[in-house]
Amino acid sequence: MLNTPGDGSAIAATFDGYPMARQGKAGQAMALSAVASFIGGIMATFGFILLAQPLANFALKFGPAEYFLLMLLTLSAIISLSMGKMIKGFISMSLGLLISTIGIDTQTGVYRFTFGMVELSEGIDFLIVIIGIYAVGEVLYNFLNIDDEKREKKEVGKIWFTKEQWKRSRWPILRSGPLGFIIGVLPGAGGSIAAMLSYTTEKQLSKKPEEFGKGAPEGLAAPESANNAASVGAMIPLLTMGIPGSGTTAVMLGALVMLGIRPRPLLFENEPETVWTLVNSMFVGNIALIIINIVLVGLLVKILDTPAKILYPLIIMLAFIGTYTLSYTAVDFFFLLLFGYFGLVLKILDFPIAPLILAVIVGGDMEQNFRMALTSSNGSLGIFFGSGVSIVLITLTVLSLFYPLIMNIVQRRKAATNTD
Amino acid sequence: MKWFKIGMPVFLILLGLFSLIMAINLPKAHLGNPNGPLYFPIGISVLLLIFSAIYLFQEIKDAEEINEHIADLFSGRTPKLIISTIILGALYALIFEPFGFLISTVLFLGALLFVVNGPKRWKANIIVTLSFSLITWYAFGELLGVSLP
Repeated sequence: MLNTPGDGSAIAATFDGYPMARQGKAGQAMALSAVASFIGGIMATFGFILLAQPLANFALKFGPAEYFLLMLLTLSAIISLSMGKMIKGFISMSLGLLISTIGIDTQTGVYRFTFGMVELSEGIDFLIVIIGIYAVGEVLYNFLNIDDEKREKKEVGKIWFTKEQWKRSRWPILRSGPLGFIIGVLPGAGGSIAAMLSYTTEKQLSKKPEEFGKGAPEGLAAPESANNAASVGAMIPLLTMGIPGSGTTAVMLGALVMLGIRPRPLLFENEPETVWTLVNSMFVGNIALIIINIVLVGLLVKILDTPAKILYPLIIMLAFIGTYTLSYTAVDFFFLLLFGYFGLVLKILDFPIAPLILAVIVGGDMEQNFRMALTSSNGSLGIFFGSGVSIVLITLTVLSLFYPLIMNIVQRRKAATNTD
Repeated sequence: MKWFKIGMPVFLILLGLFSLIMAINLPKAHLGNPNGPLYFPIGISVLLLIFSAIYLFQEIKDAEEINEHIADLFSGRTPKLIISTIILGALYALIFEPFGFLISTVLFLGALLFVVNGPKRWKANIIVTLSFSLITWYAFGELLGVSLP
């Protein structure tokens, strides 16, 4: 509703969710999001039951080279979304990767781009970049037309989606659930990548790709289904190998260890009651989620009734408080303002923001995996072509980059043929 | 507003050059490959330089195209609102820890509301400032257990 994602995995949902809210379809967007999340979560829970063991074995095949290539594929897929402005997409990605290099290099302890500031030694938290660009930047951008009274009155619309919206969303939801689940299984990949990939996939499969980013219901439903499914998928490496795939599962690992449960491959055989209790909690959690979301839709959308001139200062204040809770230092407020202003400039100049955000999130892991792969191969780049998984990932990366170009040529030829 | 359109790629090229020079001059690692920490930042800086140069050529070519948003940025109350928000935010950062959460938030939010919502709606501004500051303090500090200054 406010174009302010709470975490990385919610970013993709804002691409079409926010335009829907601005079109007076906030109620429909919230209901669609709740149902898509529910379906994605339930599908992934069934997937967990069926595929936990074999998928864990598959994830073990991913070495540093495959992880690097997976992240490269994700970035290239995001850039390929920026049809017509791919150069800006590449710049956006480069800026994100550059931000991710700030701080101590975890492999060697070398300080990079810290300028002697202790606060930069651990790098810039990607959440500060997200809050800065999406929350502060969005508010600053909305200042451009704040005196336009029409913008203050946003219609909520009916609090349930239409048949047409469901028709357009049902297959994307059903496709994105399994996709999100599989991405979630890969340690470190998580909900952000799952949501972004599902968004990219659906845009490329859609008969109306031009509507993406302008309030396409499937552009909201697909990432919502995928990110919820990914959170269930992330439980597989957690439970079978003790590897947390995300910040959330890292906290869960801590909680499990505190309760005396040691996640490992034999957990399924030795402690089935623990595993099945967790599986049951996934079902119960998803059912509770949809009930709460649908009941609260009416209340949540009322936020839109708040006058913009009051709402925007409140969002700015909440952005500051949210930033403070990340590291408990007000120094980060300056970074927040910097990224807020930067976000405003990028929006005005029509830069795609998603490549920057995703690059900030995966940049650190991408570099470390790249270097680990090279170290293990004594500097030979051949390691990036050394497995079937690598070849598939490279092929997909190349295809995703050239897809817009090929489509452009095809469309031009068609147009030329029609003119003749 | 040509300078704004051309200014961005020029800024990006300068940023790419700056990061490239910084990356080349990074200290060598004592563990593993001494140049290990350099490769990635150098590669990204080169990428940024290349794409920014292409972007600059594109912008020079399309310099006459009008971007309405750039015009909006410098019209009406917009510049005042953006600059005020950034200055007030910076002041908030400076007083947040020494003044404590409640006092600094009341001052910051109050000032921001007076700038954005206008002094004529002073009653609403004061009510929102006080109530929201207290609610936020209670929600974060008491309910969520966040350690606020």
